[in-house]
Amino acid sequence: MQVKEKEVILEVKDLKVFFHTYRGKVEALNGVELSLYKREVLGLVGESGCGKSVTALTILGLLPENAYVISGTIFFRGEDLLKKSREEMRLLRADEIAAVFQDPMTYLNPVLTMETQLKEVFMLDTNLLRKAVVWQKNHGGKIAFDDLLSGKVKIRDKSTNPKVSKGEINEMAKSLCVDILRLVRMPDPERILRQYAFELSGGMRQRAMIAMALARTPSVFIADEITTAVDVTIQAQILNLMRGLRDKIDASTLLITHDLSVAAENADRIAVMYGGNVVEVAPTVEIFKNHLHPYTSMLMKAIPDVKNPSERLEFIPGTVPEMINPPSGCRFHPRCSIATDKCAVEKPELKRVLKNHEVACYNVAV
Amino acid sequence: MKLYEYIIRRLILMIFVLLGISLIVFYLARGFPSGIDPVTPYIHSKMTAEQIEMVRKIHGFDQPLAIQFFYWIRDILQGDWGITGTWANSRPTNVVFFSHFPYTVELSVAATILTVAIGLPLGIISALKNNKLPDHVSRIIALAGYSVPAYWFGFVLQLVFFYYLSLWGLPHLPSSGASGMEGVVSCITGMPVLDGILAGNLGYTLDALAHLILPAFSLSFISMGFLTRIVRAGMLEVLRQDYITLARSKGLTERVVIYRHALKNALIPAVTLTGMFFALLLGGAMITEYVFAWPGVGQISLRAVFQGDSNFLLVYTLVTAAIIVIANLIVDVLYVFLDPRIKY
Amino acid sequence: MENSEVGTTKSEWAARWADLKYTLYLLRKNPLVMAGIFMTFFFIALMFLANYIVDPKLANPAGYPEFGGNYPFQRSYVWSKGNIINWGPGIHLYEGPEFFLLGTDGWGRDLLKMIVLAIPVDIENAIIITLGAAAFGTLLGALAGYVGGVIDEVVLRITDIFLSIPYLILALVFATMFGRTIETLRFSILLVFWPTYVRLMRGQILSEKEKSYVEALKALGAGHARVLFGHIIPNSIYPVLVQATLDFGSVVLTFSALMFLGFSPSPSLPELGNLASDGYFHIFDAPWLMMFSGLTMLLIALAFNLLGDGLRDVLDPRIRR
Repeated sequence: MQVKEKEVILEVKDLKVFFHTYRGKVEALNGVELSLYKREVLGLVGESGCGKSVTALTILGLLPENAYVISGTIFFRGEDLLKKSREEMRLLRADEIAAVFQDPMTYLNPVLTMETQLKEVFMLDTNLLRKAVVWQKNHGGKIAFDDLLSGKVKIRDKSTNPKVSKGEINEMAKSLCVDILRLVRMPDPERILRQYAFELSGGMRQRAMIAMALARTPSVFIADEITTAVDVTIQAQILNLMRGLRDKIDASTLLITHDLSVAAENADRIAVMYGGNVVEVAPTVEIFKNHLHPYTSMLMKAIPDVKNPSERLEFIPGTVPEMINPPSGCRFHPRCSIATDKCAVEKPELKRVLKNHEVACYNVAV
Repeated sequence: MKLYEYIIRRLILMIFVLLGISLIVFYLARGFPSGIDPVTPYIHSKMTAEQIEMVRKIHGFDQPLAIQFFYWIRDILQGDWGITGTWANSRPTNVVFFSHFPYTVELSVAATILTVAIGLPLGIISALKNNKLPDHVSRIIALAGYSVPAYWFGFVLQLVFFYYLSLWGLPHLPSSGASGMEGVVSCITGMPVLDGILAGNLGYTLDALAHLILPAFSLSFISMGFLTRIVRAGMLEVLRQDYITLARSKGLTERVVIYRHALKNALIPAVTLTGMFFALLLGGAMITEYVFAWPGVGQISLRAVFQGDSNFLLVYTLVTAAIIVIANLIVDVLYVFLDPRIKY
Repeated sequence: MENSEVGTTKSEWAARWADLKYTLYLLRKNPLVMAGIFMTFFFIALMFLANYIVDPKLANPAGYPEFGGNYPFQRSYVWSKGNIINWGPGIHLYEGPEFFLLGTDGWGRDLLKMIVLAIPVDIENAIIITLGAAAFGTLLGALAGYVGGVIDEVVLRITDIFLSIPYLILALVFATMFGRTIETLRFSILLVFWPTYVRLMRGQILSEKEKSYVEALKALGAGHARVLFGHIIPNSIYPVLVQATLDFGSVVLTFSALMFLGFSPSPSLPELGNLASDGYFHIFDAPWLMMFSGLTMLLIALAFNLLGDGLRDVLDPRIRR
């Protein structure tokens, strides 16, 4: 039981994001509140279209042209990301915040080799590479990515002008690529590097993407539906990998998924999203045992229970709201069984009702 | 299948295509009584009807069409391409063709270079600054490019850069022909600019270039319109893809994202188009050659059509069709190197 | 489901109508397209009204009784004095009673009037040619795609052959063969443009054929013809429409180019390319002839290309959400 207050590394407050489309204004995020602690895995769960990916993109600073951040703040290490310039965000992405996305087939460049796509990440920090080469020369033996990752080898080279050739930098980058592929358990890394995206299997492609994210030794790791596009066995492998890496990486993970079971197995805490809002946040065990928000309750009921196989699955009446003309007040109220008049008027804020448990609902029974 | 197998297969196919084309053109040229009379280059007005008949018999023009076709194929393959022109100034077809062909090549190469040099960056900028001013400007230029009548544009260029510039006493560009200094330099390639360079004669080369600019630009303006449009569409499409999002999320600079990740993907359709264009241009941008009095094969073939010169027409059609087919083949082969997913 | 009739139900057409309305809405938002639409309407209106605005007899000698039923040659290639545009020295100026806004052509006819008369000639022929090529190519392509097999191969090879012949040669040779009439000219240009539609439609058919709704229709008992004409073709028609509007500009340019090169049935026919060829030998001493006829040609092509481009942008399935 953690007694010490955990440190918040990423904090999203009241984030509102709109999209301008041909059909009208889409109110994708309606005041999202999220906190990510150090070294934890936060599961962000919700149906398609509830705004999970938009949240991720906003944090990364990769929203498309027709998106507008209306209000809100995203604090990372004490600074508001929304106020940063493009170049600053780019550097952050190169250094601290990494993302892995859903479908590796479309997210990997089809005409570039794996080596190109992986090496370019390492090549972003030529200083580090240079120092690594020097370190290697001075200390003998080979530097492995592991060492960099775990910080075992703190490269604090004092010499300001290491004479390192371009070829050596390239070599270093390449060997780090091989290392990192081994880390994500890819067989025969040298051959993989020479191949193209379409020549790899789904699981391997996903691992490659994870490697690309890992290469930056980030402090925040965003995994957006990384298991959705692969079949169940690969899913298990990938999640296993992530769990294994957890000990090595000193990073926090935002695990976005629509699959509650994935979140259940891998997340420390779960945040449930609906219609552009976070409606409930609690530690995993707590949320399964004691779900408070009506939407969460219905989600839980929709999961088949192994112990009761003949029981009919309940479904949630109604459909996911159209974000162009969203319901007023609490966005869930048209489908909610315990909705009252107040729910249609004013949106409920996310309030802490129990220790470590927050809900956004007026009618919760605590 | 392997690459060379694919190429061989295509080449064989090409032969059939060429055969088909020659059949069609041959039939059109000789099979219609109201059309071109194949006897024309061999007779003159002073001949009697019997003499004409005899000439007809000598060359086999009275035989059934199928037999004529067979003889013609045999002749072609043996290198006898018949005679072109009227009785008064008839010359062997291949001599006429190949003495004018280099001019067309020069014009086509210049036009293609211009098209790519201007159209490609224009399309890329247009896509990058989508819906902003540079985009609108280049879209309008591209639009003008493929809406403008070729004969009119050439004329306007001549009017402005030759007539009015000289009228106002300013240095101007020549309006017709390929070179103002005939015979100064020995003819090695047949292309004035190249010959000038090879002979080391600066004055000649500059003069040849001056003659080349206007027709090349006139030609390239039109194909530029098409190219810009395709490049723009291709880039926009690519920039929308997921892998670009991932590339950006890796923290790569925008420049790297565009030049390393986006461009290669976007250029594939543009390459097809450029290849096709070059082939079509070689076909002898007839109109431009006509308007600028450029001594290329396009102009000659125009004359051939009006004079009913079937020999030249057949040769011209076959050569240009062969070029188009080969250009398509080259483009398809290039694909293999551009896009690793393509395998034949 | 006891209903064995496989007809296009009302709701399907209602959906198509809603889709159409959305298209019109998108069109309205794009200024370039609106410009194209206006220009197109302008020219089409002119096409219908031309013969009422200008007396068509003015195109041939009969319209000049005061000159004894001949063309008024004494005022050929002249520019009206006092006109705003000054073409420079070397221009013959006309100081007679009539004022020619755009000068006269080689037959002494008022160029402006001839251009007005020429517009319907160009546009009508271009429409006929484009529709003909589209219809013919689409049907052939649909057949090739749907039936497949030998027919498909044969059609493809024929298309390849036609695509490999340089287009001007094709049109010219054909026109020479069959005499210089408008009909031959139309057909020869049609020959140049139809292969694209074959390829286009065939591609569409091939991908539509595999879709599940076709299987469903067949399971419900629909015959091939019905599936093809009632469902597959209407669903694949968008790219054909776009291609037709895009081609229209090229068709009209090719048509006038052929006339320019000398393929007109009669040298005095009011047609934009024809007028230009009249002015070709006088580009420096009577530049208005080529200038204004070509300019009109440019504007017509521009109008239809703007429309086509806009339509294509709007019909792009990715922008329509």
